[in-house]
Amino acid sequence: MPQHGRFEGLVMPHLDAGYNLARWLTRNVNDAEDVVQEASLRALKYVESLRDGDARAWFLTIVRHAFYDWCKRNRPTEVVHDDGAAIDAAVDESALDPERVAVRNAESRALGEAVAALPLVFREVLILRELEELSYKEIARVVDIPVGTVMSRLARARGLLQRSPLLHAIRAHASGGER
Amino acid sequence: MNCNEAVKLVAAYADGEIDSARGRSIEEHLRSCAACEAKHQDVLALRARIRAEVPYYPAPPALNERLRAAVARDASEPDGSERPAAPAPRSPDRSRFGWLMGGALAGCAATLLAFFLSTAVIDWRANEDIAVQAVGTHVRATLDNRLIEVASSEQHTVKPWLSARLDYSPPVRDFASDGFPLVGARLETLDKQRVATLVYRYRQHTIDVYVRPDSAHAPTAPRTLRGFNVAHATGSGMDWLAVSDVSPDVLTGFVQLLVQQSAAK
Repeated sequence: MPQHGRFEGLVMPHLDAGYNLARWLTRNVNDAEDVVQEASLRALKYVESLRDGDARAWFLTIVRHAFYDWCKRNRPTEVVHDDGAAIDAAVDESALDPERVAVRNAESRALGEAVAALPLVFREVLILRELEELSYKEIARVVDIPVGTVMSRLARARGLLQRSPLLHAIRAHASGGER
Repeated sequence: MNCNEAVKLVAAYADGEIDSARGRSIEEHLRSCAACEAKHQDVLALRARIRAEVPYYPAPPALNERLRAAVARDASEPDGSERPAAPAPRSPDRSRFGWLMGGALAGCAATLLAFFLSTAVIDWRANEDIAVQAVGTHVRATLDNRLIEVASSEQHTVKPWLSARLDYSPPVRDFASDGFPLVGARLETLDKQRVATLVYRYRQHTIDVYVRPDSAHAPTAPRTLRGFNVAHATGSGMDWLAVSDVSPDVLTGFVQLLVQQSAAK
């Protein structure tokens, strides 16, 4: 079966990228595994339609779709399609279980917490840009939005992080610079 | 270019999304406008912090193996749906995985248990495990913004600075031509000893390399701790321990390069 060879050669190298995205979208180890498994199943099925060269963005697109399908079934309140007036909260409250936050070492985890607390539509573009290092064009394809929307969501994500109540030290770090 | 135009493009410029002609006029504007330059620096500073502090989660090895095994098993069978029924799925969700979950799911709980156990063991051994210490010092140095105590890409500046503060003289070399420019160094305490720490860059990532005289340190297998990768190598009487958020492949390749270059001298 040729698609298994293609899956192994084209998709498996991007398993880390897919898992990282799923992990940041679900914010949970087990849910991320479920999403990646479902995505891999779909990727195996459709791998024959994949052109060489854009396998990573292609697999990330599938992971993202698998996540949203999973999310609709398991966390329907999290899915918001528009980033307009509906999303004014800088912090997604469901990420802030007070007990868990208290247990964690606040200092070393602050920025990760702030990213995890971003509303979904901003979190996904930020992760794709800053951790997966995708171009605007690739992000536009994965998320299926215009490049202009990629830019505005990214600006929003960065603004929310810089003003995040979970994080106070960005300015201090920026002005300190690299010695 | 004026501020109204520039302000819309500063983030895209920081993201490397601006063509060279417009890039030059933005650069010109940034040189003369402190407000826009501050916005530009904000994006770069936030990116540096994200890449240093926000963990990148690689796929757990168990998931990787499970997928490979499932694909191999599926490949050897004409049609997954013809197989005898797998053990009853635990939830409607699980049944959708079909071939993927047949048998594999049974091992899942055990794998998870093993994962938590090994994590617990790592935590428990924290004080004696050099890799855990190395990641800890890397994270602390990043958070305190003191990754670099002597900033230089020049090995003839960095090496004497380190030698003057240590009872050994670590090999120091710039690997800019291989994509790993040396950016500086600092001192750390590792395993109760003062250790030379060389700081390299790879693209936007920082790599800490702890260099010690090799006194028969047990080899440390490449591993991932708190989202950071750790790679270890010895040779020419020295011991290299590298910590970074770059991918394990890149990091392992880099420590091998360090050892080879040191031996070639």
